[in-house]
Amino acid sequence: MRLVLVAALATGLALPSATTAASPITVFAAASLTAVFPRIAPAARYSFAGSDQLALQLQQGAPADVYAAASPKYPELLYHQGLVRKPVVFATNRLVLIVPRNNPARIGSVYDLRRSGIKLVIGDKGVPIGAYTRQILDTIGISADVLKNVVSEETDVKGIVGKVALGEADVGFVYATDARPVASRVKVVPLPAWAQPPIRYEIAVVKGGREPAARGFVARVTGKAGRAVMSKAGFGLPKG
Amino acid sequence: MRALAGLALAVALAFLIVPVAALFLRVPPGDLIAALGSGVFRDALVVSLKTSAIAHLAVLVVGTPAAYVLARRRFLGRGLVLTVIELPLVLPPAVAGIALLAAFGRYQLLGGTLSALGISVGFTQLAVILAVAFVESPFYLRGAVAAFEAVDGTLVDAARTLGAPPARVFFRVALPLAAGGLGAASALALARGLGEFGATIIFAGSLQGVTQTLPLAIYAQFEQDFDLALAIGALFVLLGAVLLLFLKLVPGWTRSSSSSPFRFAPSRSS
Repeated sequence: MRLVLVAALATGLALPSATTAASPITVFAAASLTAVFPRIAPAARYSFAGSDQLALQLQQGAPADVYAAASPKYPELLYHQGLVRKPVVFATNRLVLIVPRNNPARIGSVYDLRRSGIKLVIGDKGVPIGAYTRQILDTIGISADVLKNVVSEETDVKGIVGKVALGEADVGFVYATDARPVASRVKVVPLPAWAQPPIRYEIAVVKGGREPAARGFVARVTGKAGRAVMSKAGFGLPKG
Repeated sequence: MRALAGLALAVALAFLIVPVAALFLRVPPGDLIAALGSGVFRDALVVSLKTSAIAHLAVLVVGTPAAYVLARRRFLGRGLVLTVIELPLVLPPAVAGIALLAAFGRYQLLGGTLSALGISVGFTQLAVILAVAFVESPFYLRGAVAAFEAVDGTLVDAARTLGAPPARVFFRVALPLAAGGLGAASALALARGLGEFGATIIFAGSLQGVTQTLPLAIYAQFEQDFDLALAIGALFVLLGAVLLLFLKLVPGWTRSSSSSPFRFAPSRSS
């Protein structure tokens, strides 16, 4: 019991009853959080997948205690449906350009993407990264010229990162946090801050689960320890 | 025992038919017609048919004589060659895609040579053709070797002793006698090529009208328009069924006693 207590305290989980200490809470989290959440709370059980898939599973009654998504869309929808408590923003992300280390197309800014003959890889318009990419290009006002250079519309961020990291593509649009793991193979070209679309991650306690323990988890993610880990991984943080 | 075997057959049939039937139950006929008219479907159909036809033609032209040699000749390392040919069969498609990238990518093994020749593979239909040919060729080669091995060797030898040159023996004796098995192997390989997904999405990427084949279009639509994805899936089933039926009904091939490309004739060397 003492060991269990120590372990539970170490992960910062609240201890409302003996059962929560005995079995870890279940956290449904967006795939992009795979590397960070276990570092914030190693004892919890995780299911990492696309935010939309997880939302669908929750709607079908999957037993989870916490839901963390890569956009406000699904947490707000589930809140409206009475399945989760009020969601809070716990992290933000930015879009960046990545180019192969040797930068074969000599890309120094987003405006260079208008040049013809550049091999650009973006997300399909059905996935969030693809939607955000089109949004930022619209804001900058260079959509028509840039989208002509698209050689592939990938169905997830991994496809974009892989093709740029291998040097097949000259440049791709990804989240800032996706560039970190391949830092030795790619170079990051920042995008103008004024054009960035708001990319917010939201977390919520699932109703009818072990809510006190789940609140403890949310407190840890949004607290000092969580913020330090998120920030180190390249995420932005909400004020507070 | 007989009842049990019958039950097993019923279970196997149900397991194979229920998912396909469910697909059609989920798609109203109106959606099928609408999908036929959608730009995504038509572009993907054209890309699929074009790349599959070219890849399949290349596999037939190169694979048929290669299989003939493998079936007729006994040489050192023949077993090894047969194993290498079958290797893509057991590779996960994702591995095949990465392997093709490592070989033909612009900064990879052959990339420099190819770009010196002015050939760029990445994100082009050539990449799709390479991926399709790579995954479908073992299906054809395996079946074709078996088909040629099943040809009665004494007929071939008789033709040779009567003075027919090797090319004539191949085209007038071996090829017609092996036609049944070759046709079945060809159909299986073509179907496998049309359904190719994993190697293509990794190696060629996905762009409507350029590299987006039917399976890639289904996957892309899955996250945008689920109903369209279902409808394209259903049309794909119809296309596959028509292909299979057509190949089974071609009269020249019914001479073959079995329509399975994987009947293995006893190999004379082993």
